[in-house]
Amino acid sequence: MGEVITITSGKGGVGKSTLSANLAVGLAELGKKVVAIDFDIGLRNLDMILGLENRIVYDVVDVMEGRCNLSQALINDKRSKNLYFLPASQTNNKDILDKEKVRTLLENLKKDFDIIVLDSPAGIESGFEHSIFLADRALVVSTPDVSAVRDADRVIGIIDAKSQKAKDGGEVLKHVVINRLKPELVESGSMLSVDDVLNILALPLIGVIPDDEKIITSTNEGEPIYYDKNSQAAEAYRRIARRVLGEEVEFLELKSKKGFFGRLFG
Amino acid sequence: MTLFERFFGPKKASANVAKDRLTLMLAHERADCAIPYMDDLKKDLLEVIQKYTKTGNVNIKTEQNQNVDMLEIEIQLGS
Repeated sequence: MGEVITITSGKGGVGKSTLSANLAVGLAELGKKVVAIDFDIGLRNLDMILGLENRIVYDVVDVMEGRCNLSQALINDKRSKNLYFLPASQTNNKDILDKEKVRTLLENLKKDFDIIVLDSPAGIESGFEHSIFLADRALVVSTPDVSAVRDADRVIGIIDAKSQKAKDGGEVLKHVVINRLKPELVESGSMLSVDDVLNILALPLIGVIPDDEKIITSTNEGEPIYYDKNSQAAEAYRRIARRVLGEEVEFLELKSKKGFFGRLFG
Repeated sequence: MTLFERFFGPKKASANVAKDRLTLMLAHERADCAIPYMDDLKKDLLEVIQKYTKTGNVNIKTEQNQNVDMLEIEIQLGS
């Protein structure tokens, strides 16, 4: 039976979809059969990051409403043959998802896939509730700034209240991912550090992703940064994927890259 | 270090300001959302209190720190 991993954050624009894409690629590259689902109904995103936007025929709502088979809607990734993608619907009606239909869809996918990565929409409305409803684990993404951390805290507080697993007496496994860290700003005391964020959120850490301009290029091109051998962010994503599979992996040592003068005077 | 900081000491690092503001803010917010049944519980409590007294002076507060969730109820009976 497959495991459902929900990527969530509260605040928008902190890197949920980028994490979803790269984690899904990573888990697939590590040999798991993975499906990534864009649950942001009305606002498709993940398709562009994965570079699969031209292959979409049917979407997740079509499947749930019975307008097509699951296999017709699933899109196989260009590079990772273990990875499949189920796009969000472009409907204006964001309340179209229904708990029982979400359950049926996920139960079906669990039979065929090892891991289901759910990219949750920002906010704490019904879209978020549906994406957390059947989650086995949640990765909460935050950037090191006050508004993202505050929203992350709020989301962490309601995950269990919205989860079937918690209702059945279990607990959703929760981890924090800190995204877009700028080591030089942390060193100068102008940015919250990893420890600061963890102290506030009081959850275990599963990854720190340094700010990396290459992410913009990779999103532009629709090629997840995961495949970039020289990017530190890509390395961070690779390590997160391994940790999700239970491996103990050291955290990247993130230090500011100071030039010669920086070293002299910094 | 600017001349200003040399004389008056360095400005407090903004990350520390962020940390303090967040810690304070969340201490308040957590009390509201961490306990999912709190709203229903409050409603029921009020109903029961009103069944026995006519007082309108009921104050229900929730408080939370690292380990303990507390519910504080203050009822003023009669006047």
